[in-house]
Amino acid sequence: MITVAPEVNQANGQKKLDLANLTPEQTSLQIKDLDLYYGDKQALSNVNMLIPKGQVTAFIGPSGCGKSTLLRCINRMNDLVDTCRIEGEIILHGQNIYDKRVDVAALRRSVGMVFQRPNPFPKSIYENVVYGLRLQGIKDKRKLDEVVEKSLRGAALWDEVKDRLHDSAFGLSGGQQQRLVIARSIAIEPEVLLLDEPTSALDPISTLVIEELINDLKNKYTVVIVTHNMQQAARVSDQTAFMYMGELIEYADTNTLFTTPSKKKTEDYITGRYG
Amino acid sequence: MEHNLNKHISGRFNEELESVRNHVLSMGGLVEQQLNLALDAVNECDAEKARKVSENDYQVNAMEVNIDEECTRIIAKRQPAASDLRLVVAIAKTIADLERIGDEAERIARVALDSFTKDQQDLLVNIENMGRQVSKMLHDVLDAFARMDAQRAFEVHKEDAKVDREYEALTRQIMTYMMEDPRSIPKIMDLIWSVRSLERIGDRCQNIAEYVIYFVNGKDIRHTSQEDIEKSL
Repeated sequence: MITVAPEVNQANGQKKLDLANLTPEQTSLQIKDLDLYYGDKQALSNVNMLIPKGQVTAFIGPSGCGKSTLLRCINRMNDLVDTCRIEGEIILHGQNIYDKRVDVAALRRSVGMVFQRPNPFPKSIYENVVYGLRLQGIKDKRKLDEVVEKSLRGAALWDEVKDRLHDSAFGLSGGQQQRLVIARSIAIEPEVLLLDEPTSALDPISTLVIEELINDLKNKYTVVIVTHNMQQAARVSDQTAFMYMGELIEYADTNTLFTTPSKKKTEDYITGRYG
Repeated sequence: MEHNLNKHISGRFNEELESVRNHVLSMGGLVEQQLNLALDAVNECDAEKARKVSENDYQVNAMEVNIDEECTRIIAKRQPAASDLRLVVAIAKTIADLERIGDEAERIARVALDSFTKDQQDLLVNIENMGRQVSKMLHDVLDAFARMDAQRAFEVHKEDAKVDREYEALTRQIMTYMMEDPRSIPKIMDLIWSVRSLERIGDRCQNIAEYVIYFVNGKDIRHTSQEDIEKSL
């Protein structure tokens, strides 16, 4: 059972959502009775949750709890694992993304992903950003220039790189590279952005810059982030899901989860206790 | 949900929380002792005891400063969450109230420095009663804090209504007295102040009870009616 806090006005004036009963307009993704197996081993069991639109949702939990697996389910990255078997549904726009008719490439265009280590392509900064558009066959220089500026501005990188757009992306610092990867993801205007520990390879200052960026991104995109850093989840997310051994233990708005969690397992984890 | 302070993976964190909690308990013990000494001083018209209360007050103040510092350090270094965070917040607020209770005890003791006539001493006996009631409240709320017992804290919370009634009764009695003998007013004013102090101590014990409930249940019950508190516990 997941626990959901009652509706109350939060300090920032934003209305707290009733996570168990989001209206279709408020919902970006619905995860329904999801089970996932790697061979015989069950990695996710019966996960049910609604992920609200235009907000940041964090998944936290100890290593091996299934949070990254769950994140990767959202754009079908687990398809690449041979032994992986999935039951249940993830619904985006009223359609189950695991339906046979779904075009996986199209799905990944609307659900972008950023990984733990920045992975720019061995190309210029400019070419990294327009990569997805070139794949779509867009050649119009004016259009491409426009997207580059918009995406780099969106990823809070424009001012730092505008004078060297045609230099290699490898010349950027780790934090800049990660923002470049985010710019590349948002260049194709996805609806959902999945971030898998986006700052774990970065220094504290770059981490803060990315966190600030996540906050800016959330008005335009639905952001789902997996992080090992609990304080980070507390800082950047609107709601947090705590997972443990493949199960969703508690899913609540972040303020509630970090001050008054309702499950003992959650409490033990976020306070650094052994159960 | 049970709250076990010493089950963190970090042993140092356990020690820090345990230490700050013990310091609060010793501060509570000292404040309780101060209040009882002040009440004894009034009851026995013992100026020596009254002076002692005044002398000891600096210890209470020093403890508040030290514990405050400990709390700040824990927040900075450990970024406590959930019940740990609520404990640190509850402690920071509790010690502020304890420090004020210490100040009130000092004010009460001042009455013992005046000399009263036989008649006026009857009033002192009534103060003594109210004082013992308040002192018991303080004792019980510290006990609830030590045991992290929300139910016990709620019992203390309810006690305050009795203290308030006692306060009103005493005030009426003192006013009658002043009307009958206006010359006694200057001396009686000190009495009124100490009755007022006792009433305030009751309120502060009630505050501490609220912090204990906040820590244990994660519910902020300030400015909530008794019935609603009872329902939420």
